[in-house]
Amino acid sequence: MNTLKLLSAFLKVNIQMSLAYRADTVVNILLNLMWLGWELLTLSIIFNNTETIGGWGFGELIALLGVFRLVHTLMIALIWPNTEKFNQSIRDGSMDYTLLQPINSMFLVTFSRITVWRAWDLILAAVLIVIGINLSGETITSLSIVTFFLLTISGAIVIYSLWIVLIALTFWFTKFDNNVTILQALLDAGRYPVTVYPVWLRILVTFVVPIAVATTVPLQGLRGDLTISRSLLFIAIGIASFLIASQVWKRGLKQYSGASS
Amino acid sequence: MFKIFQRLWQVNWAEQWQYRANLIMYLLYWLVSPIIYLAVWTSIANSKGSVNGFTANDFVTYYMTLLVVDQVTSNIVIHTFAYKVQDGTLAGELIRPIHPMLTNALVNNIAFKALTIIGFIPVWIILFFLYKPDYSHLTLTGILVAIPAMIIGFLVGFLLSAAITSLAFWTTRVYSIHEFYYAMILLFSGQFVPLPLMPKLIQDVAQYLPFQLLIYFPIQLILGKLSNAQIVQGYVTGTIWLVVAISVFNWIWRNGVKRFSAVGA
Repeated sequence: MNTLKLLSAFLKVNIQMSLAYRADTVVNILLNLMWLGWELLTLSIIFNNTETIGGWGFGELIALLGVFRLVHTLMIALIWPNTEKFNQSIRDGSMDYTLLQPINSMFLVTFSRITVWRAWDLILAAVLIVIGINLSGETITSLSIVTFFLLTISGAIVIYSLWIVLIALTFWFTKFDNNVTILQALLDAGRYPVTVYPVWLRILVTFVVPIAVATTVPLQGLRGDLTISRSLLFIAIGIASFLIASQVWKRGLKQYSGASS
Repeated sequence: MFKIFQRLWQVNWAEQWQYRANLIMYLLYWLVSPIIYLAVWTSIANSKGSVNGFTANDFVTYYMTLLVVDQVTSNIVIHTFAYKVQDGTLAGELIRPIHPMLTNALVNNIAFKALTIIGFIPVWIILFFLYKPDYSHLTLTGILVAIPAMIIGFLVGFLLSAAITSLAFWTTRVYSIHEFYYAMILLFSGQFVPLPLMPKLIQDVAQYLPFQLLIYFPIQLILGKLSNAQIVQGYVTGTIWLVVAISVFNWIWRNGVKRFSAVGA
Protein backbone atom coordinates (compact mmCIF):
# COMPACT_ATOMS: atom_id res chain seq x y z
CA MET A 1 0.00 0.00 0.00
CA ASN A 2 2.82 2.30 0.97
CA THR A 3 4.42 1.59 -2.37
CA LEU A 4 1.33 2.66 -4.28
CA LYS A 5 1.03 5.85 -2.25
CA LEU A 6 4.66 6.64 -2.94
CA LEU A 7 4.26 5.92 -6.61
CA SER A 8 1.33 8.31 -6.87
CA ALA A 9 3.35 10.91 -4.98
CA PHE A 10 6.22 10.47 -7.45
CA LEU A 11 3.78 10.83 -10.32
CA LYS A 12 2.40 14.05 -8.85
CA VAL A 13 5.84 15.57 -8.43
CA ASN A 14 6.85 14.55 -11.92
CA ILE A 15 3.67 15.97 -13.44
CA GLN A 16 4.37 19.26 -11.68
CA MET A 17 7.93 19.26 -12.97
CA SER A 18 6.86 18.60 -16.51
CA LEU A 19 4.18 21.31 -16.35
CA ALA A 20 6.99 23.78 -16.01
CA TYR A 21 8.09 22.82 -19.53
CA ARG A 22 4.81 22.77 -21.42
CA ALA A 23 6.19 23.96 -24.76
CA ASP A 24 8.91 21.32 -24.60
CA THR A 25 6.26 18.68 -24.11
CA VAL A 26 4.44 19.81 -27.25
CA VAL A 27 7.70 19.80 -29.24
CA ASN A 28 8.53 16.33 -27.93
CA ILE A 29 5.14 14.95 -28.88
CA LEU A 30 5.55 16.35 -32.40
CA LEU A 31 8.99 14.75 -32.69
CA ASN A 32 7.54 11.51 -31.41
CA LEU A 33 4.88 11.60 -34.14
CA MET A 34 7.61 12.31 -36.69
CA TRP A 35 9.47 9.16 -35.60
CA LEU A 36 6.26 7.15 -35.77
CA GLY A 37 5.87 8.36 -39.36
CA TRP A 38 9.45 7.35 -40.10
CA GLU A 39 8.93 3.90 -38.59
CA LEU A 40 5.77 3.33 -40.63
CA LEU A 41 7.56 4.52 -43.77
CA THR A 42 10.41 2.04 -43.22
CA LEU A 43 7.89 -0.77 -42.75
CA SER A 44 6.03 0.20 -45.91
CA ILE A 45 9.31 0.27 -47.87
CA ILE A 46 10.16 -3.19 -46.58
CA PHE A 47 6.75 -4.59 -47.44
CA ASN A 48 6.73 -3.00 -50.87
CA ASN A 49 9.48 -5.47 -51.65
CA THR A 50 8.35 -8.57 -49.82
CA GLU A 51 5.29 -10.16 -48.21
CA THR A 52 7.00 -11.52 -45.11
CA ILE A 53 10.23 -11.01 -43.20
CA GLY A 54 11.47 -13.78 -40.96
CA GLY A 55 8.08 -15.43 -41.46
CA TRP A 56 6.14 -12.37 -40.20
CA GLY A 57 3.66 -10.28 -42.20
CA PHE A 58 2.97 -6.53 -42.30
CA GLY A 59 0.30 -6.56 -39.60
CA GLU A 60 2.52 -8.54 -37.28
CA LEU A 61 5.36 -6.06 -37.78
CA ILE A 62 2.99 -3.20 -36.89
CA ALA A 63 2.03 -5.06 -33.72
CA LEU A 64 5.72 -5.67 -33.03
CA LEU A 65 6.35 -1.95 -33.46
CA GLY A 66 3.70 -1.41 -30.79
CA VAL A 67 5.42 -3.81 -28.38
CA PHE A 68 8.79 -2.27 -29.24
CA ARG A 69 7.39 1.15 -28.37
CA LEU A 70 6.28 -0.17 -24.97
CA VAL A 71 9.85 -1.23 -24.19
CA HIS A 72 11.16 2.00 -25.69
CA THR A 73 8.87 3.97 -23.39
CA LEU A 74 10.09 1.97 -20.40
CA MET A 75 13.56 2.94 -21.54
CA ILE A 76 13.09 6.68 -21.91
CA ALA A 77 10.35 7.38 -19.42
CA LEU A 78 11.91 5.45 -16.54
CA ILE A 79 15.36 4.03 -17.22
CA TRP A 80 17.10 7.11 -18.65
CA PRO A 81 15.96 9.76 -16.20
CA ASN A 82 16.49 7.56 -13.13
CA THR A 83 19.89 6.38 -14.28
CA GLU A 84 20.98 9.95 -14.81
CA LYS A 85 19.86 10.86 -11.31
CA PHE A 86 21.43 7.73 -9.87
CA ASN A 87 24.83 8.27 -11.51
CA GLN A 88 24.81 11.85 -10.28
CA SER A 89 23.97 10.70 -6.76
CA ILE A 90 26.84 8.21 -6.76
CA ARG A 91 29.27 10.88 -7.92
CA ASP A 92 28.23 13.60 -5.47
CA GLY A 93 27.28 11.32 -2.60
CA SER A 94 23.62 12.31 -2.43
CA MET A 95 22.91 8.58 -2.57
CA ASP A 96 23.42 8.76 1.21
CA TYR A 97 20.08 10.53 1.60
CA THR A 98 18.28 7.99 -0.55
CA LEU A 99 19.61 5.19 1.63
CA LEU A 100 18.48 6.94 4.79
CA GLN A 101 14.84 6.78 3.70
CA PRO A 102 12.86 4.00 5.36
CA ILE A 103 11.83 2.55 2.00
CA ASN A 104 13.27 -0.08 -0.30
CA SER A 105 16.18 1.74 -1.92
CA MET A 106 15.85 -0.16 -5.20
CA PHE A 107 12.30 1.06 -5.58
CA LEU A 108 13.29 4.59 -4.66
CA VAL A 109 16.16 4.73 -7.11
CA THR A 110 14.22 3.26 -10.03
CA PHE A 111 10.89 5.05 -9.78
CA SER A 112 11.54 8.54 -8.46
CA ARG A 113 11.85 10.11 -11.92
CA ILE A 114 9.14 9.46 -14.48
CA THR A 115 8.85 11.34 -17.75
CA VAL A 116 5.11 11.65 -17.46
CA TRP A 117 4.16 12.84 -20.94
CA ARG A 118 5.53 9.58 -22.34
CA ALA A 119 2.31 7.98 -21.08
CA TRP A 120 0.83 9.05 -24.39
CA ASP A 121 3.34 6.79 -26.09
CA LEU A 122 1.80 3.85 -24.24
CA ILE A 123 -1.58 4.67 -25.74
CA LEU A 124 0.00 4.89 -29.17
CA ALA A 125 1.68 1.54 -28.60
CA ALA A 126 -1.62 -0.07 -27.61
CA VAL A 127 -3.28 1.34 -30.75
CA LEU A 128 -0.47 -0.04 -32.93
CA ILE A 129 -0.78 -3.47 -31.31
CA VAL A 130 -4.56 -3.62 -31.85
CA ILE A 131 -4.35 -2.38 -35.46
CA GLY A 132 -1.46 -4.71 -36.21
CA ILE A 133 -3.24 -7.76 -34.86
CA ASN A 134 -6.35 -6.90 -36.86
CA LEU A 135 -4.34 -6.45 -40.06
CA SER A 136 -2.50 -9.71 -39.56
CA GLY A 137 -5.75 -11.66 -39.39
CA GLU A 138 -4.47 -13.85 -36.57
CA THR A 139 -7.10 -15.90 -34.82
CA ILE A 140 -7.03 -14.64 -31.27
CA THR A 141 -8.11 -16.82 -28.39
CA SER A 142 -8.46 -15.67 -24.81
CA LEU A 143 -5.53 -17.96 -23.98
CA SER A 144 -3.27 -16.24 -26.52
CA ILE A 145 -4.21 -12.80 -25.19
CA VAL A 146 -3.45 -13.82 -21.62
CA THR A 147 -0.13 -15.33 -22.77
CA PHE A 148 0.66 -12.13 -24.64
CA PHE A 149 0.01 -9.96 -21.57
CA LEU A 150 1.99 -12.17 -19.23
CA LEU A 151 4.92 -12.41 -21.65
CA THR A 152 4.91 -8.64 -22.22
CA ILE A 153 5.03 -8.01 -18.48
CA SER A 154 7.71 -10.62 -17.83
CA GLY A 155 9.72 -9.28 -20.78
CA ALA A 156 9.57 -5.79 -19.30
CA ILE A 157 10.65 -7.24 -15.95
CA VAL A 158 13.65 -8.90 -17.60
CA ILE A 159 14.73 -5.55 -19.05
CA TYR A 160 14.09 -3.82 -15.72
CA SER A 161 16.18 -6.45 -13.91
CA LEU A 162 19.05 -6.17 -16.34
CA TRP A 163 18.95 -2.43 -15.78
CA ILE A 164 19.14 -2.92 -12.00
CA VAL A 165 22.18 -5.14 -12.42
CA LEU A 166 23.84 -2.63 -14.74
CA ILE A 167 23.38 0.33 -12.42
CA ALA A 168 24.28 -1.77 -9.38
CA LEU A 169 27.66 -2.34 -11.03
CA THR A 170 28.27 1.35 -10.41
CA PHE A 171 28.66 0.50 -6.71
CA TRP A 172 31.75 -1.53 -7.59
CA PHE A 173 33.06 0.61 -10.45
CA THR A 174 32.28 4.18 -9.56
CA LYS A 175 33.36 5.52 -12.95
CA PHE A 176 30.99 3.24 -14.81
CA ASP A 177 28.55 5.91 -15.93
CA ASN A 178 27.96 4.30 -19.27
CA ASN A 179 25.96 1.71 -17.43
CA VAL A 180 22.86 1.67 -19.63
CA THR A 181 24.36 2.45 -23.03
CA ILE A 182 24.53 -1.21 -23.96
CA LEU A 183 20.78 -1.59 -23.34
CA GLN A 184 20.09 1.55 -25.30
CA ALA A 185 22.37 0.52 -28.16
CA LEU A 186 20.84 -2.88 -28.72
CA LEU A 187 17.28 -1.68 -28.21
CA ASP A 188 16.86 -1.00 -31.94
CA ALA A 189 17.20 -4.71 -32.58
CA GLY A 190 13.72 -5.05 -31.07
CA ARG A 191 12.07 -3.44 -34.09
CA TYR A 192 12.24 -6.62 -36.16
CA PRO A 193 11.49 -10.25 -35.30
CA VAL A 194 14.69 -12.02 -34.19
CA THR A 195 14.02 -14.72 -36.76
CA VAL A 196 15.42 -12.27 -39.35
CA TYR A 197 18.80 -12.03 -37.68
CA PRO A 198 21.87 -14.22 -38.18
CA VAL A 199 22.48 -16.67 -35.35
CA TRP A 200 25.17 -14.67 -33.51
CA LEU A 201 22.95 -11.59 -33.37
CA ARG A 202 19.96 -13.68 -32.32
CA ILE A 203 21.94 -15.16 -29.44
CA LEU A 204 23.18 -11.70 -28.44
CA VAL A 205 19.72 -10.12 -28.25
CA THR A 206 18.06 -13.15 -26.67
CA PHE A 207 20.52 -14.26 -24.02
CA VAL A 208 23.10 -11.54 -23.45
CA VAL A 209 21.00 -8.39 -23.71
CA PRO A 210 17.52 -9.91 -23.86
CA ILE A 211 15.74 -7.21 -25.87
CA ALA A 212 14.05 -9.94 -27.92
CA VAL A 213 12.54 -11.52 -24.80
CA ALA A 214 10.56 -8.31 -24.37
CA THR A 215 9.64 -7.72 -28.01
CA THR A 216 9.63 -10.80 -30.24
CA VAL A 217 8.65 -13.33 -27.57
CA PRO A 218 5.32 -11.77 -26.48
CA LEU A 219 4.15 -11.65 -30.09
CA GLN A 220 5.28 -15.22 -30.64
CA GLY A 221 3.03 -16.03 -27.70
CA LEU A 222 0.17 -14.22 -29.38
CA ARG A 223 0.79 -15.98 -32.71
CA GLY A 224 0.75 -19.34 -30.94
CA ASP A 225 4.38 -20.05 -31.88
CA LEU A 226 5.22 -21.01 -28.31
CA THR A 227 4.14 -24.14 -26.48
CA ILE A 228 2.60 -23.59 -23.06
CA SER A 229 5.67 -24.92 -21.28
CA ARG A 230 7.86 -22.51 -23.31
CA SER A 231 5.65 -19.58 -22.30
CA LEU A 232 5.78 -20.66 -18.67
CA LEU A 233 9.56 -20.89 -18.96
CA PHE A 234 9.78 -17.28 -20.16
CA ILE A 235 7.55 -16.14 -17.31
CA ALA A 236 9.75 -18.05 -14.87
CA ILE A 237 12.80 -16.34 -16.36
CA GLY A 238 11.11 -12.99 -15.72
CA ILE A 239 10.56 -13.81 -12.04
CA ALA A 240 14.02 -15.32 -11.62
CA SER A 241 15.77 -12.36 -13.19
CA PHE A 242 13.97 -10.01 -10.82
CA LEU A 243 15.04 -12.06 -7.80
CA ILE A 244 18.64 -12.18 -9.01
CA ALA A 245 18.63 -8.44 -9.70
CA SER A 246 17.41 -7.65 -6.16
CA GLN A 247 20.20 -9.81 -4.74
CA VAL A 248 22.81 -8.04 -6.87
CA TRP A 249 21.41 -4.70 -5.74
CA LYS A 250 21.69 -5.71 -2.06
CA ARG A 251 25.28 -6.87 -2.51
CA GLY A 252 26.06 -3.67 -4.39
CA LEU A 253 24.69 -1.51 -1.59
CA LYS A 254 27.15 -3.13 0.82
CA GLN A 255 29.95 -1.89 -1.43
CA TYR A 256 28.70 1.66 -1.32
CA SER A 257 30.69 3.89 0.99
CA GLY A 258 29.66 7.41 0.03
CA ALA A 259 31.44 9.83 -2.24
CA SER A 260 33.83 11.44 0.22
CA SER A 261 35.37 8.41 1.85
CA MET B 1 48.49 28.51 -37.73
CA PHE B 2 49.90 25.02 -38.11
CA LYS B 3 51.27 25.20 -34.58
CA ILE B 4 47.86 26.12 -33.24
CA PHE B 5 46.27 23.11 -34.89
CA GLN B 6 49.06 20.88 -33.64
CA ARG B 7 48.51 22.06 -30.09
CA LEU B 8 44.74 21.73 -30.36
CA TRP B 9 45.22 18.22 -31.67
CA GLN B 10 47.32 17.23 -28.65
CA VAL B 11 44.79 18.68 -26.22
CA ASN B 12 41.78 17.15 -27.92
CA TRP B 13 43.41 13.79 -28.42
CA ALA B 14 44.26 13.65 -24.73
CA GLU B 15 40.74 14.72 -23.85
CA GLN B 16 39.13 12.06 -26.03
CA TRP B 17 41.56 9.43 -24.73
CA GLN B 18 40.15 10.08 -21.27
CA TYR B 19 36.77 8.95 -22.52
CA ARG B 20 37.88 5.82 -24.36
CA ALA B 21 35.33 3.66 -22.53
CA ASN B 22 32.61 6.02 -23.75
CA LEU B 23 34.01 5.68 -27.24
CA ILE B 24 33.53 1.93 -27.24
CA MET B 25 29.93 2.39 -26.14
CA TYR B 26 29.40 5.04 -28.78
CA LEU B 27 30.84 2.71 -31.39
CA LEU B 28 28.45 -0.04 -30.35
CA TYR B 29 25.53 2.37 -30.40
CA TRP B 30 26.42 3.58 -33.84
CA LEU B 31 27.04 0.11 -35.32
CA VAL B 32 23.74 -1.46 -34.37
CA SER B 33 21.28 0.03 -36.86
CA PRO B 34 23.32 -0.57 -40.05
CA ILE B 35 23.86 -4.17 -38.92
CA ILE B 36 20.14 -4.60 -38.32
CA TYR B 37 19.21 -3.09 -41.70
CA LEU B 38 21.82 -5.34 -43.30
CA ALA B 39 20.26 -8.40 -41.65
CA VAL B 40 16.73 -7.40 -42.67
CA TRP B 41 17.57 -6.69 -46.31
CA THR B 42 19.85 -9.65 -46.89
CA SER B 43 17.16 -11.93 -45.47
CA ILE B 44 14.63 -10.43 -47.90
CA ALA B 45 17.04 -10.61 -50.83
CA ASN B 46 17.89 -14.21 -49.99
CA SER B 47 14.25 -15.28 -49.92
CA LYS B 48 13.37 -13.36 -53.10
CA GLY B 49 16.56 -13.81 -55.12
CA SER B 50 16.87 -10.03 -55.44
CA VAL B 51 15.06 -6.86 -54.35
CA ASN B 52 14.54 -4.38 -57.15
CA GLY B 53 17.78 -5.58 -58.75
CA PHE B 54 19.72 -5.63 -55.45
CA THR B 55 21.16 -9.03 -54.55
CA ALA B 56 22.08 -10.09 -51.03
CA ASN B 57 25.72 -9.30 -51.81
CA ASP B 58 24.76 -5.81 -53.03
CA PHE B 59 23.18 -5.14 -49.65
CA VAL B 60 26.16 -6.56 -47.76
CA THR B 61 28.66 -4.43 -49.70
CA TYR B 62 26.37 -1.39 -49.40
CA TYR B 63 26.09 -1.51 -45.61
CA MET B 64 29.69 -2.56 -45.04
CA THR B 65 30.79 0.44 -47.12
CA LEU B 66 28.24 2.61 -45.32
CA LEU B 67 29.93 1.83 -42.01
CA VAL B 68 33.22 3.18 -43.37
CA VAL B 69 31.73 6.23 -45.07
CA ASP B 70 29.56 7.17 -42.09
CA GLN B 71 32.56 6.82 -39.82
CA VAL B 72 34.34 9.46 -41.92
CA THR B 73 31.49 11.87 -42.65
CA SER B 74 29.51 11.93 -39.38
CA ASN B 75 30.18 14.36 -36.54
CA ILE B 76 29.25 14.88 -32.90
CA VAL B 77 29.42 18.66 -32.73
CA ILE B 78 25.92 19.04 -31.23
CA HIS B 79 26.97 16.93 -28.24
CA THR B 80 30.30 18.65 -27.67
CA PHE B 81 29.38 22.26 -28.31
CA ALA B 82 25.74 23.18 -27.61
CA TYR B 83 26.12 22.87 -23.85
CA LYS B 84 29.02 25.34 -23.89
CA VAL B 85 26.66 28.01 -25.17
CA GLN B 86 24.06 27.04 -22.60
CA ASP B 87 26.26 26.97 -19.52
CA GLY B 88 28.44 29.87 -20.59
CA THR B 89 31.79 28.06 -20.78
CA LEU B 90 32.02 29.28 -24.36
CA ALA B 91 33.00 32.69 -22.95
CA GLY B 92 36.48 31.41 -22.20
CA GLU B 93 36.95 30.22 -25.76
CA LEU B 94 35.60 33.37 -27.34
CA ILE B 95 38.35 35.54 -25.91
CA ARG B 96 40.98 33.42 -27.63
CA PRO B 97 42.10 34.71 -31.03
CA ILE B 98 40.93 31.54 -32.83
CA HIS B 99 37.49 30.48 -34.02
CA PRO B 100 35.98 28.16 -31.37
CA MET B 101 33.98 26.14 -33.89
CA LEU B 102 36.28 26.01 -36.90
CA THR B 103 39.43 25.21 -34.95
CA ASN B 104 38.79 23.67 -31.54
CA ALA B 105 35.49 21.92 -32.21
CA LEU B 106 36.65 20.75 -35.62
CA VAL B 107 39.88 19.27 -34.27
CA ASN B 108 37.95 17.75 -31.39
CA ASN B 109 35.68 15.95 -33.86
CA ILE B 110 38.61 14.69 -35.87
CA ALA B 111 40.39 13.43 -32.75
CA PHE B 112 37.18 11.67 -31.75
CA LYS B 113 37.01 10.02 -35.17
CA ALA B 114 40.66 9.00 -35.13
CA LEU B 115 40.10 7.26 -31.81
CA THR B 116 36.86 5.52 -32.78
CA ILE B 117 38.54 4.26 -35.95
CA ILE B 118 40.99 2.34 -33.77
CA GLY B 119 38.04 0.47 -32.28
CA PHE B 120 36.16 0.37 -35.56
CA ILE B 121 38.79 -1.45 -37.65
CA PRO B 122 38.75 -4.76 -35.74
CA VAL B 123 34.94 -4.71 -35.61
CA TRP B 124 34.78 -4.15 -39.34
CA ILE B 125 37.17 -7.03 -39.96
CA ILE B 126 35.04 -9.34 -37.80
CA LEU B 127 31.93 -8.29 -39.72
CA PHE B 128 33.84 -8.86 -42.95
CA PHE B 129 34.43 -12.48 -41.99
CA LEU B 130 30.86 -12.91 -40.77
CA TYR B 131 29.26 -11.57 -43.96
CA LYS B 132 32.00 -12.20 -46.53
CA PRO B 133 31.08 -9.31 -48.87
CA ASP B 134 32.23 -9.82 -52.45
CA TYR B 135 34.24 -6.68 -53.16
CA SER B 136 35.74 -7.98 -56.43
CA HIS B 137 34.24 -5.08 -58.42
CA LEU B 138 36.08 -2.52 -56.36
CA THR B 139 38.62 -0.41 -58.25
CA LEU B 140 41.41 1.81 -56.99
CA THR B 141 40.10 4.71 -59.09
CA GLY B 142 36.68 4.31 -57.45
CA ILE B 143 38.21 4.63 -54.00
CA LEU B 144 40.47 7.52 -55.00
CA VAL B 145 37.55 9.41 -56.55
CA ALA B 146 35.53 8.83 -53.36
CA ILE B 147 38.09 10.33 -50.97
CA PRO B 148 37.52 14.01 -51.87
CA ALA B 149 33.77 13.28 -51.87
CA MET B 150 34.00 11.97 -48.31
CA ILE B 151 35.95 15.06 -47.26
CA ILE B 152 33.30 17.30 -48.85
CA GLY B 153 30.64 15.16 -47.17
CA PHE B 154 32.30 15.56 -43.78
CA LEU B 155 32.72 19.32 -44.22
CA VAL B 156 29.15 19.89 -45.39
CA GLY B 157 27.82 17.73 -42.55
CA PHE B 158 30.05 19.42 -39.99
CA LEU B 159 29.12 22.94 -41.11
CA LEU B 160 25.40 22.19 -41.19
CA SER B 161 25.56 20.58 -37.74
CA ALA B 162 27.64 23.51 -36.54
CA ALA B 163 25.04 25.93 -37.92
CA ILE B 164 22.26 24.06 -36.13
CA THR B 165 24.32 23.85 -32.95
CA SER B 166 24.83 27.63 -33.13
CA LEU B 167 21.06 28.05 -32.89
CA ALA B 168 21.75 27.42 -29.20
CA PHE B 169 22.49 31.16 -29.06
CA TRP B 170 18.78 31.74 -29.57
CA THR B 171 16.93 28.74 -28.20
CA THR B 172 17.34 26.06 -25.56
CA ARG B 173 15.47 23.64 -27.82
CA VAL B 174 18.44 23.18 -30.10
CA TYR B 175 18.50 19.44 -29.37
CA SER B 176 14.96 19.06 -30.70
CA ILE B 177 15.92 20.96 -33.88
CA HIS B 178 18.89 18.68 -34.24
CA GLU B 179 16.67 15.62 -33.82
CA PHE B 180 14.59 16.86 -36.74
CA TYR B 181 17.75 17.43 -38.79
CA TYR B 182 18.86 13.89 -37.96
CA ALA B 183 15.53 12.52 -39.20
CA MET B 184 16.13 14.37 -42.47
CA ILE B 185 19.51 12.64 -42.73
CA LEU B 186 17.86 9.25 -42.25
CA LEU B 187 15.22 10.08 -44.83
CA PHE B 188 17.39 11.50 -47.60
CA SER B 189 20.91 10.14 -47.13
CA GLY B 190 20.51 6.46 -47.96
CA GLN B 191 21.20 5.41 -44.36
CA PHE B 192 18.21 3.09 -44.16
CA VAL B 193 18.25 1.62 -47.67
CA PRO B 194 20.04 2.42 -50.91
CA LEU B 195 18.13 5.42 -52.28
CA PRO B 196 16.68 3.56 -55.33
CA LEU B 197 14.53 1.57 -52.87
CA MET B 198 13.06 4.71 -51.31
CA PRO B 199 9.76 6.10 -52.66
CA LYS B 200 10.17 7.95 -55.99
CA LEU B 201 9.40 11.38 -54.51
CA ILE B 202 12.10 11.04 -51.86
CA GLN B 203 14.66 9.95 -54.46
CA ASP B 204 13.85 12.93 -56.68
CA VAL B 205 14.19 15.41 -53.84
CA ALA B 206 17.21 13.68 -52.31
CA GLN B 207 19.55 14.32 -55.23
CA TYR B 208 19.28 18.08 -54.72
CA LEU B 209 19.68 17.94 -50.93
CA PRO B 210 22.99 17.84 -49.05
CA PHE B 211 22.20 14.67 -47.08
CA GLN B 212 23.13 12.13 -49.77
CA LEU B 213 26.59 13.72 -49.88
CA LEU B 214 27.16 12.21 -46.43
CA ILE B 215 26.29 8.61 -47.26
CA TYR B 216 24.88 7.64 -50.62
CA PHE B 217 27.15 9.54 -53.02
CA PRO B 218 30.48 8.36 -51.49
CA ILE B 219 29.21 4.77 -51.26
CA GLN B 220 28.22 4.75 -54.92
CA LEU B 221 31.60 6.20 -55.84
CA ILE B 222 33.49 3.55 -53.88
CA LEU B 223 31.38 0.76 -55.33
CA GLY B 224 31.94 2.22 -58.82
CA LYS B 225 28.24 2.43 -59.65
CA LEU B 226 28.17 5.92 -61.16
CA SER B 227 28.69 7.11 -64.72
CA ASN B 228 31.14 9.95 -65.37
CA ALA B 229 28.26 12.39 -65.83
CA GLN B 230 26.77 11.35 -62.47
CA ILE B 231 30.14 11.76 -60.78
CA VAL B 232 30.49 15.28 -62.14
CA GLN B 233 26.92 16.11 -61.14
CA GLY B 234 27.55 14.79 -57.62
CA TYR B 235 30.69 16.85 -57.21
CA VAL B 236 28.96 19.99 -58.53
CA THR B 237 26.11 19.47 -56.03
CA GLY B 238 28.70 18.87 -53.31
CA THR B 239 30.60 22.05 -54.09
CA ILE B 240 27.43 24.15 -54.20
CA TRP B 241 26.29 22.78 -50.85
CA LEU B 242 29.73 23.35 -49.37
CA VAL B 243 29.51 27.03 -50.32
CA VAL B 244 25.95 27.24 -49.00
CA ALA B 245 26.92 25.50 -45.75
CA ILE B 246 29.87 27.85 -45.20
CA SER B 247 27.73 30.95 -45.72
CA VAL B 248 24.82 29.70 -43.62
CA PHE B 249 27.12 28.73 -40.79
CA ASN B 250 28.99 32.04 -40.93
CA TRP B 251 25.82 34.05 -40.90
CA ILE B 252 24.26 32.17 -37.97
CA TRP B 253 27.51 32.18 -36.03
CA ARG B 254 28.19 35.90 -36.45
CA ASN B 255 24.70 36.89 -35.38
CA GLY B 256 24.68 34.34 -32.60
CA VAL B 257 27.92 35.48 -31.00
CA LYS B 258 26.59 39.06 -30.98
CA ARG B 259 23.63 37.88 -28.91
CA PHE B 260 25.74 35.77 -26.60
CA SER B 261 25.87 36.85 -23.03
CA ALA B 262 27.40 34.31 -20.72
CA VAL B 263 25.66 33.11 -17.60
CA GLY B 264 26.49 35.42 -14.74
CA ALA B 265 27.19 38.42 -16.95
